[in-house]
Parts: sequence; structure tokens; C-alpha cells
Amino acid sequence: MKENLRRLVSYRELLYNLVLKEVKVKYKNSVLGFLWSMVNPIMMLAVYYVAFGIIFKLRALGMTRYEFFLLSGILPWNFFSLSLIQSVSSVVNNADLVKKVYFPREVLPLSYLGAASFHFLLQELVLLFFLLVFRVRLTPWIFAFPLVMLLEMVFIAGLSLYLASFNVYFRDVQHFTEILLLAWFWMTPIVYPISFIRDNFPLWAQRIYLLNPMAHVALLWQRVTYNSPANGPQAAYFSAAGLLYTVLLSVFLLVSGYYLFTRMEGRFAEFI
Amino acid sequence: MAAREIGTRTVSENPAIELRGVGKCFRLYRDINRSLKERVVNWRKRGYDLFWALRGVDLTVFQGETLGVIGPNGSGKSTMLRLMTRIMKPDEGSITTYGTIAALLELGAGFHPDLTGRENIYLNASILGLRRKDLEGVFQEIIDFSELGPFIDNQVKNYSSGMYVRLGFSIAININPDILLIDEVLAVGDESFQAKCLDRIMRLQNDGKTIVLVTHDADLAASISHRVLWLENGGVKMLGDPQEVVEAYHQAMRMRPEGSEFGNREIVIEKVEILNAEGEPAREFRTGDPMILAMEYTAHRPIEDPVFGYGIYDHLGFMVHGTNTRLRGLDIPRVEGKGRVEFHLASLPMLDGRYYVSVAAHTRDGMVNYHWLDKLFFFDIVSSGVERGFLTIDTDIRLL
Repeated sequence: MKENLRRLVSYRELLYNLVLKEVKVKYKNSVLGFLWSMVNPIMMLAVYYVAFGIIFKLRALGMTRYEFFLLSGILPWNFFSLSLIQSVSSVVNNADLVKKVYFPREVLPLSYLGAASFHFLLQELVLLFFLLVFRVRLTPWIFAFPLVMLLEMVFIAGLSLYLASFNVYFRDVQHFTEILLLAWFWMTPIVYPISFIRDNFPLWAQRIYLLNPMAHVALLWQRVTYNSPANGPQAAYFSAAGLLYTVLLSVFLLVSGYYLFTRMEGRFAEFI
Repeated sequence: MAAREIGTRTVSENPAIELRGVGKCFRLYRDINRSLKERVVNWRKRGYDLFWALRGVDLTVFQGETLGVIGPNGSGKSTMLRLMTRIMKPDEGSITTYGTIAALLELGAGFHPDLTGRENIYLNASILGLRRKDLEGVFQEIIDFSELGPFIDNQVKNYSSGMYVRLGFSIAININPDILLIDEVLAVGDESFQAKCLDRIMRLQNDGKTIVLVTHDADLAASISHRVLWLENGGVKMLGDPQEVVEAYHQAMRMRPEGSEFGNREIVIEKVEILNAEGEPAREFRTGDPMILAMEYTAHRPIEDPVFGYGIYDHLGFMVHGTNTRLRGLDIPRVEGKGRVEFHLASLPMLDGRYYVSVAAHTRDGMVNYHWLDKLFFFDIVSSGVERGFLTIDTDIRLL
């Protein structure tokens, strides 16, 4: 394990270059280039504002700025799902490299995570900009931004390592992941506030619901970029136990996923 | 210990790569049976055959040495190189390498078509394990060597295939590792570029780099290597002086009829003999002579219900005759360890010509071959000259 980590560190430049490649390639041959990463959340904000602020008038839920609430959850979710989908097939899609060149294979899923992180940061910057423009008051939680992002990255990295290595042996994994993400999205408080679960379901159901680590990640993001008293108290939900659970689970996934991946990578070249 | 003298060059006694009893086994899947559902449904069935691409290889490559590796297709050359690069791990034995390794297995692996040549140099160099600060020093040399000039800032997707491999080769050759592994990539570009590549390899030799070169071109291997390794059927056939090995190799390739061998080698046919009526090895028979075809085999594990058979082919590859133990109603319940099978052919009816013999051991349904030696043996038949065609037929002529 220690040796594998040292090897990974010695290949950090490769990881950096692969991330750079992903970032460059994504918007190559387009006029706006990486500005597209920023246009995306602006459009989402506008659409949600019209749809939910003007047409559906969701203020009944007690949230004065539903579009910001939605964006607070959906940007981290897109980061999660995009990164995961690309990482799962990362080893298989780079078959020619894996078969022909030796390098620590874990840089493949990690590079997609890196590139997705870059786009996510740009999108969050746009969100922060509009929060300031529309005078949505920020709380000190904004300083937790890097920590929350780190937590989500650890969780994604762990899960990606598991799924990417399984996918080499069973290509079903990548299709399964897409389906899983669809269901997972609705099991996470992104479109609806957590109070909706709290008020409508019995305690045992809530307990099961909160086993979803992404629920805690989403709640943290809503704290960081949305939750202020002015926006209504319903979004406020924080459980220290849930946070601890998510942190421990993420770290466990990363450590065990890395161990599994490095154990299995010796045979990758034969199976793809 | 004193340095070993090979040709005019001096090679150190320190090893660069050590292989100890190295074996690599592949699973040959009978069909694409890889979805989860099918695995669950068929979880008891082993859906693959085992194939040892390399087995029991002991080899030391010394520092500063150039080792040429030759051998027919499927002899395990590329597998050995992949094991040395750590792309694959051996299933048996161990491989130790001393120093940094770069491998030229495929040029331009990992090039991204949308990036420019320059951007791809950075990416490809780091895939091959070169640090950025080391790259700065050789960057211009890579561009010069590739002869791409102004095109270096064009997207790689607009390159011709020649430009593509030239860039790939330039990057790989400039990585400057302690050990360089090369697989059949010298055949790129036009003649002048090839000469340049060879020139570059000689410079690396003079710099004391260790080079392992896998090639089909035995004469090329002989001309630039200190030693040549001849691999066959996953094992070392011969290792030593380039001239001697390559000569022996050429001779063997000429002697060999158009034949091949395959199978999972759970039963190995160790020896095949073509014997005359007296039980002596023979190459020439007369039409009508009897013949004994004998094979000695080793079953590495108990094998249920195997079938042994043979086939005789004419020089055009058409089967003249063939049979096996199953067709003859002979059931072999189980074999293990060494054994011998003899086919006694009462009379050879063929007329003049050279005939090739295949022998095989396979499962009862013929779906899995344990070992199949395809047209690896031959014998000649001479007739008395009183007939034409393929076969002798006892003919009685009556003039009435």
C-alpha cells in the first residue's frame, strides 16, 4: 500500500497532465471554450427561476429563493454523477493505454475526478457571484467550502475506484451505475428540502433515508451556499452524527477502494 | 568479477533485468461470456481454457547489453516484454528490474487527436514516466527528431500516419531510461527515418543503456544485439551469440513445414515418431508399406475421456486420411502422467509425394484442444511407378 502510494506520487505529473487534457479537450473546437462551464449554471438559474419562481410559485414550501436552493444541491450532484460516470468506464475506455504502457492505473479514474472538480469550481464561482448579485446573505459556513468539497471528492474517489475496477470484469457495472444514479438523485434532498422528508415520513424511514451519504453531502452544500435565516428555516438541518458517518464512510471507501484497485490492476491488461 | 566480453563491446556483470522461473498464463475464453447475469447463471462452468504463453523462463539481461528476442508468432515474445514493463504480472516466478524502464510497445499510444503535437508531447512523455523538468531539456530534440517542424502546433488528428508514428518514436526514444524495451516498432517511417532510428539506438548502446529488442527480423537482431534469445512455445529455445542463434533459427524455420501448434497443454504431446515396420524411425516409405505413428504424451493433471488422433495431408494441405480413438470406438476413461499411443497403419496406399502429419489430443466433443501439432511432421512416399494419381489400387489386367 505504502509502495503503491509512493508510486502514485511519483506519477503526479501524469495525473496533472491527464486532468489538463480532459479540461482542454472538453471544449476544444468551441468558441466559448471553458466559459461553457459557467454558462451552464447561469442558464440553469434562469430556467429554474422562471419555472419555479414564476410559474409554480414554490414559495409555499417556505423558501423564498427556490432557484438558489435547487442550484446549491444540483451543482454538487452533477459534479458527483458526471465524475462517477466517466470514472467507471475510465479503465475500459483507455484500453490502448492500459495494454501498451505501464503507469499506475488509478490515475485514470482520478483524472476524470480532477477534471470534473475544475468544472465544478467554475460553476460554484458563478453561483457565488449570483448569490452576491441577488443579495442572498452568506453565512460563515461559506468558509467550510473547501472542506465540504474535499469530503465530496473523497467520497467520489472511493466509489470510483470500486466501480472502475469492477467494470473491467463486468461491463454491466457502467450501465448499472447510470440507472443507480437516476434513483439516487431522487433519494437525495436536492429538488425538495429535507423538511419534506422530516414532516411526511415515520422515523424509521427517515433513518434509512439518512444512510445515504450523498444526502449529507447535499445538506452540507445547502448550508454552504444557500442556507441563511432569510431563506426560511426548513432547509436548516444538521446532524453531527450524520456528518461523522459520511466522513468515516468516505474515508473507508477511499482506503478500501484504493486497496482493491491496486490489487486488481495487475490483471486489467488481460481483461480489456 | 571481470566484465564479460561480447563482441567488441564490454558489458557489465551487473544485472539489469532478472527473470526467475517466469510463467504467464492466459485464460482463453470460449465465448464472450462476461455479463453478470451469464456469470451467475453459469457460475459452475469454467468458461475458459488455460494457456501458458510463457513458462519456466530464466534469463538475466546485463546492464549495457542489447538483447535481441526472436521467435515465431505466438512464441511469447510480446508477453515477455509486457511482463518486463509491469503491464502484466507473472503468474509464476519473479522479475526484478534495476533502473528506470521505458517501453516502445506502440507508438503514440495515448495521443489525443484534438490536442496539438506539442500538447501531446507533454501528455505522452508523462504517460511514459518522464518528468516535466527532464522534458524541458529534450523538448526541442523531440521536435527536431520527428521532422515535424511547423506542424508541431497542429492538431494531431490532421497528421498523416507517418507523422504520427514519427512523433511517437521521437518522444519514446528521447525518454532516456536506463532500460529500453522495443517491440517491432523499428519498422516505421521511410528508409531514412529508419536509418535515423537505428543510429539513435546505437547511440543509446554507446551510452551504456540496456536494450531489449523484440523483432521478427532475425538479421536485424543479429546485427545490433550482443546476445540473441530465441523463444519458442513459451520457453527459451536458445540463447547466446547472435550469429549462431540466428543461423540456427533460420535453419529451423526453413526445415519447418507450414505448421503450427496450439492447445491448452493440459496434455502435452512430447514426442512424435514415424516408424517403419521394424520400429525404426523412417522418413521414406514405399507405397503399400506399413507405418507406425507413435506419440508420447504427458497429462499434467488427470484428464477424463481424452481423444488421440492423427491426420495425414498432401502437399496442398488436403487431408488424405485421418482418424482418432473416438471414431474407432476406443474409449480412454482417464489418463494421467506419461503415456504412449501407437497407431499401426497396415498399408500406405498413397503414391509419390511428401505427406504431412498432424497429431492431436482433445476432448471427446472436440471443443477443447489439449495439444494440436498441426502438420509439423512429414514423410515421403515412393511408388514403383506403375500407377498415376493419388492411390494405389490392386489392378489385375486381362487381355481377352
